[in-house]
Amino acid sequence: MLELRGLSKHFGGVKALDGLDLTVDEGEIFGLIGPNGSGKSTTINVICGVYGQTAGTVRFRGELMDGQPPHRRLRAGIARTFQNIRLFPNLTVWQNLWVAQNSHQDIARQGFLPRWLGTTRQTRKEIAGLLELADLGHKGDDLAANLAFGEQRRLEFARAAAARPKLLLLDEPAAGMSRVEIDDLSRRIRRVRESGVTVLLVEHVMELVMGVTERIAVLNFGNRIAFGTPSEVQHNQAVQEAYLGSSSPEPRPAGRKS
Amino acid sequence: MIDFVQNTVDGIMFGSSYALLAVGFTIIFGVMRRLNLAFGATIMLGAYVGTWLHVNYQVNVLIIALAILASTVLTGVYVERLCFRAIRRDAALASMVSSFVIWMQLEEVAIHLLPERTYPFPSLFVVDAIEVGAFLFRAEHVTMLVLAVAMVGALHLLLHRTRFGLALRAMSENPRAASYMGIDTGRVMLCSFALVSLVGGVAGYTILATDEQITPFFGLWTTFKGLIAMMLGGMGSLPGAILGGLMLGVVEAHSQWYLGNEYKDLSAYILLFAILVLRPGGLMGRRILSREELAYRRV
Repeated sequence: MLELRGLSKHFGGVKALDGLDLTVDEGEIFGLIGPNGSGKSTTINVICGVYGQTAGTVRFRGELMDGQPPHRRLRAGIARTFQNIRLFPNLTVWQNLWVAQNSHQDIARQGFLPRWLGTTRQTRKEIAGLLELADLGHKGDDLAANLAFGEQRRLEFARAAAARPKLLLLDEPAAGMSRVEIDDLSRRIRRVRESGVTVLLVEHVMELVMGVTERIAVLNFGNRIAFGTPSEVQHNQAVQEAYLGSSSPEPRPAGRKS
Repeated sequence: MIDFVQNTVDGIMFGSSYALLAVGFTIIFGVMRRLNLAFGATIMLGAYVGTWLHVNYQVNVLIIALAILASTVLTGVYVERLCFRAIRRDAALASMVSSFVIWMQLEEVAIHLLPERTYPFPSLFVVDAIEVGAFLFRAEHVTMLVLAVAMVGALHLLLHRTRFGLALRAMSENPRAASYMGIDTGRVMLCSFALVSLVGGVAGYTILATDEQITPFFGLWTTFKGLIAMMLGGMGSLPGAILGGLMLGVVEAHSQWYLGNEYKDLSAYILLFAILVLRPGGLMGRRILSREELAYRRV
């Protein structure tokens, strides 16, 4: 599904990513964790084309993505959410989802007019489904700016799903969430996966990562230091040292990124 | 009293074309946070192509009108490629300076196309003024108002009821997020330039059809009127641009009637001064800007 080979990204003298290899299989929920500054966000940004890599390749479903702008990658099936939410504040909830549908394969294929001008019964039905997924069914006509923080996070998630991606990149979706909201979010992530979407989850909140993912890669200093199932990673010596500098049973408690 | 009403209605009618000019400036500013100084010159060159057809080939006025719209759109796209697309990652000032230079270039092209100082511009139709009771309206002014209302209505539908319009608004709110939502920002930019050029072309045509003559200074004139109307309403605000345009038209009409022709332009500048002192962001601009800021802080 997604294949990163020898991926490097240098910012001046800083090696944010240094020869990272990673393979995400179709249909899995893959976790990417690591201490602050270990290269997680850089990885997501390179995958969806925010900036180009210094070296290495990104392959998505066998195709090289290098040099493709973000909207092309989305059309190929890579969608993302943002760590700091980036909705369109003066558009309504419904309109936020509607705009995001423009990369939807089925709609794009119908040609210029349905893509840029109209709504069809299918698009309305899908938006209703997304509103329901985000528990925002009654708030469709509210401005995104007027939503509560948790609701904005849910809208951000639904908006990424609106393009019906094949791969969904979640950049710290649980930051600042309560325990109940985190349980809610893991249910949502599982539901999206059941609809055939592969998920790459970058997260600090261990409750979410350990509960929802099948495989985890741990980054530090722009490279992979561990890889395996959640329990394998949890008991890995190198991981514990990376997080705490010494041996300790838990990598890091739940909480907001500082 | 009759004079006052007559002047106000005249002002609104002529101001509707100012509103269209301001809409052109404000949409580009809203989408890109950049000022397109070549907008007036774009309209002028489009009109010159039509005049050139009129002078040399005596073609039908309808064909001339269509030729003006087409060449305005083409010139708008040319300006976008040169001043905005090519340097979209550089400072906004670079776009402003290069669009100013392109303005000079377009003026030069127009002068070479038709080297004399003024040329006659064909009116769409020759009809007597329309009498309504004690009031008298020029047919050209009525056409202007009708076309402006139609354009604004169409724009409103486009911006609120189509996915393209929402993409444009999404881009003006957060260009990067728009790009990650699959919006081809380059395409939207190009389309918005074509769109505002079309709006500007309509405004330019109706103004020239009223004046029945054209000079290369038309570019400067439209730039002034459009910029003042936009500043009155507040940069980046669509309702503000319309309000600013109408206000400018009404103030000009009144000062021309009560104070004399030489005070017409002066009163426009005094109005702009007063608004900028009282409400530095323009009539609608400040409120919209602060609401946007508030939204960003929350989102």
